[in-house]
Amino acid sequence: MTVIISDMLPGGTAGLIQPATGDAATGGDAFDSGMWPTHRAEYLGADAPWRQDPAMVVLAPRAAENSAHVPFVIDATALPGVVERIVVTVDYSPFAHALTFHPGRALPFLGFGVKYEVAGALRASARIGGEWHVGAAWVSALGGGCSAPAAVHARPDWQQGFGQMRGRLWQKTGRLVVSIRHPQDTGLADGIPAHHLTELALYDAQGARIANLELFEPLEENPTLTFVLPPDLARQPVTIRSRDNLGDSFTGTVRPDA
Amino acid sequence: MRMRAPLSLSRRQLLGSATACLIAPLCPARAADRNYELAPVERAPGVWMIEGAREVFSRQNGGAIVNIALLETPKGAVVIDTGSTGGMGAAIRAFADQRLGGVAMVLNTHHHPDHWFGNAAFEDCPLLAPAPAIAACTQYGGDFAASLYAILGSWMSGTRPLPARQPTAEGPLEVGGRKLVLRQMAGHTLADLVVIDQATGTLIASDMLFLDRAPSLPDADYDRWLAGLDQLARLSPSGTIPGHGPFHRDGAALAQTRAYLTATRARLDLAAQTGLTRIEAMSAGPAPEFAHLGANPEEYIRSVVQRWPDHETTALPVIGGA
Repeated sequence: MTVIISDMLPGGTAGLIQPATGDAATGGDAFDSGMWPTHRAEYLGADAPWRQDPAMVVLAPRAAENSAHVPFVIDATALPGVVERIVVTVDYSPFAHALTFHPGRALPFLGFGVKYEVAGALRASARIGGEWHVGAAWVSALGGGCSAPAAVHARPDWQQGFGQMRGRLWQKTGRLVVSIRHPQDTGLADGIPAHHLTELALYDAQGARIANLELFEPLEENPTLTFVLPPDLARQPVTIRSRDNLGDSFTGTVRPDA
Repeated sequence: MRMRAPLSLSRRQLLGSATACLIAPLCPARAADRNYELAPVERAPGVWMIEGAREVFSRQNGGAIVNIALLETPKGAVVIDTGSTGGMGAAIRAFADQRLGGVAMVLNTHHHPDHWFGNAAFEDCPLLAPAPAIAACTQYGGDFAASLYAILGSWMSGTRPLPARQPTAEGPLEVGGRKLVLRQMAGHTLADLVVIDQATGTLIASDMLFLDRAPSLPDADYDRWLAGLDQLARLSPSGTIPGHGPFHRDGAALAQTRAYLTATRARLDLAAQTGLTRIEAMSAGPAPEFAHLGANPEEYIRSVVQRWPDHETTALPVIGGA
């Protein structure tokens, strides 16, 4: 069963964004080429068994309209077995590691956006029982997303609204969306030190952790994250806690929609 | 009277690309000859229109996707927008020089590059645009050039972004005895110039109006744009040259642009209010009644990324903070 809900829009079955398979997932280059041998050794483990798996779905537009906000969905719900974590890396980025998702009691599905410095593939590697299942999507981008200052720095006071958290929980679909006002500075723009989120976790009404994310520089400015919760967790309030590399912390609670 | 002026401004090719490949079959795919086959049509006395393809930028169309208007005066033409590349600007200039007695003035309607990247071919002419558009051209010209070089390749050879130099003023403007009225609107971008030709009653609507080509929304402000359409609805032009799409005599572009904006805004609102990701909203495609428009679905997919923050902020209540 798919968790994709495009068809909730009228006539929304166009299916314009489809996963790429084979070498198309990496823009026509061999899947195990370019930066990937280096990245898999570093982030998955030098001798870790891995394979390209079409059930690790990565969805993205073919062209990035805005290199500062390139949207993705990673969907491992079709993989058999319990997904322990999903490592997301960007092939040609000054910061290869975008995030690691520990789905815990949430579904292994995540919507997010990243900055793109140059065209290339984003890869999602799901770990199940010591094996890695890897999917990818190649995005054409002009780039500069990681080295340009955050848009907020064009304003007189970037701290205005800083840390504001918005969110919503839809009981019917189990969707949880959270966004945080944060510049997500990578440290590469002149005179602007690195300032970005490092972690975000969801907690149930009893205070037990549902899922968590390790977050790094590539995550977009003012990031939006979309989770899918199972029905029992989507019926109760969920608290979101997050932190950045300068010690700021952010918290908010969403209550299920009626 | 309407006349068609077939133009061949291109230099004669020595070899067609097919012939070249027969001679050297192992040559790398050679870029097709980069000539603009512009076909100006006189839509009303002294009102010439060069119609763009109803598409997004591509190596097939070379960026000739935008409508250009030229108004004849005894002192030369008033050229409204100059195209996407230096080469396209030069082709427009050649037509004005050869057929319309030169160029009296150039107006750029707004800062999107398909409307002013041909300016360098008119460097010796008065170049005018709304002041906020000049500022935006200056700020984003380099980024636009990088994008267009990547998309259009050698079509962009020799293109130099040259923003207009003088700001336009709202109200009447007389050039070589031809009376125009300039209306400075906004909504498609931060400043959109609309021109009314008094002699013929022709409305040159810039990208405030699209017909049979999906409106582009990267800098759109839905409310201001719809308010601008209300103002345009109070005019009764004899004919309309939209920014993209065919010349027409009824209110077709006005109705379609309004319907598209309203439907696209509602669709993305619903997507955000339902908890869709941007990817799912893209994948759903444009509102079905607009799926057939030129430049869709590409233009709709772009709009999801560009306009998403507007819709998301409305859909997500504040739940906490630092």
